[in-house]
Amino acid sequence: MHAAISVVQYHLPEKILTNRELAEMFPEWSAEKIAAKTGIEQRHVSAADECPSDLAEAAARKLFNTGACSPGDVDFLLVCTQAPDYILPATACLLQHRLGLPMRAGAFDFNLGCSGFVYGLSLAKGLIETRQAKNVLLLTTDTLTKFLHPTDRGSRSLLGDGAAATLIQGRHDAPPGHLPWIGPFVFGTDGQGKDHLIIRTGGMRQRGSAGAADEMPSPDHFFMNGPEVFTFTLRVVPQTVKEILERAETTLDGVDLFVFHQANAYILEHLRQKLKVPAEKFVVALSQCGNTASSTIPIALHEARARGQLRPGMRVMLVAFGVGYSWSATMIHSW
Amino acid sequence: MIKPQLLRLLEDTLGMDENTLKGNETLRDLAEWDSMATLYFIATVDKHLGVPLSGDQVAKCQTVADLLVLMGNRPLAA
Repeated sequence: MHAAISVVQYHLPEKILTNRELAEMFPEWSAEKIAAKTGIEQRHVSAADECPSDLAEAAARKLFNTGACSPGDVDFLLVCTQAPDYILPATACLLQHRLGLPMRAGAFDFNLGCSGFVYGLSLAKGLIETRQAKNVLLLTTDTLTKFLHPTDRGSRSLLGDGAAATLIQGRHDAPPGHLPWIGPFVFGTDGQGKDHLIIRTGGMRQRGSAGAADEMPSPDHFFMNGPEVFTFTLRVVPQTVKEILERAETTLDGVDLFVFHQANAYILEHLRQKLKVPAEKFVVALSQCGNTASSTIPIALHEARARGQLRPGMRVMLVAFGVGYSWSATMIHSW
Repeated sequence: MIKPQLLRLLEDTLGMDENTLKGNETLRDLAEWDSMATLYFIATVDKHLGVPLSGDQVAKCQTVADLLVLMGNRPLAA
């Protein structure tokens, strides 16, 4: 049995925050400057009562509407989110019920932010190729805009809310060539990076609110040390690309398309140049939705397919990196 | 790279006109030294000089001269 991606869909909340509106909130940056610095024209913002589970549900329904599978076919649900509905029960259990998945389906949450999608593919492959499941629904969903401090101009420019639904299924045939439909994988973790991408309160270390903070850093709010995270990215991503190429026994030329976590356009372009990847092989797809954390890669895959940049049979490298610090990379054959 | 070349590289990184920087400016006084500038600076040093910098190292810089030291421009012997 071979695990392969069959379909990817995504959902963004209705409300849009444009660069013009951002410039009105932060007058020292013009709309043009924001676009030039970030590569982002707009980002979607969840409503006050709209949780990641709601976005994930909508993404899943879009996937079912493609006809690729029905809710009754799903035998395992994986939900990646940094913002579950409750401390317990798991959001995956809530979504099993809301989506009408069979009660014999397994379901659980995991949380790994921007690295979550690639880790999710690894989990799905493990479940399928050990014959524990056949149709795995992977939902990635985050609403980081809810955690932004009012003065955090940088993060508000970059981050957007959204969810993606990916169906990974077992199939009997293997793809042409020596690589599987999904794999190999490279993983990495560095907990020393914890303070550079963090929301401090709400967990067990500090359960209640820290109280109002006029400016950053604020323990109740999302904090990202941009320069440190950039340094981490520069340190880890090129090495990870080298490792996945070695594991896959191929070279840069043997990869048809590169889809990295869509952190921001500046970092992506810097990495592309550093790795010497031609522009036409490097997917950039964040101008309309910003950095949606765990959903940036599936959204980029969907958009690349829609614009014809991703075609069936392509060998695609996925590289995810972020909170933790954590990182992961894999190769996929495009559906 | 010698100091004038490093200054031109810094000007280009920060989107300043050529020959604007003398090398003794305080970063706090430069309008171009905003929150993205640190990222651009780290990227430039990585790309053109092959030197990996941490955010901490750059955060400690108070002047353009401090940036030049990170870029590899040693101060003149006393």
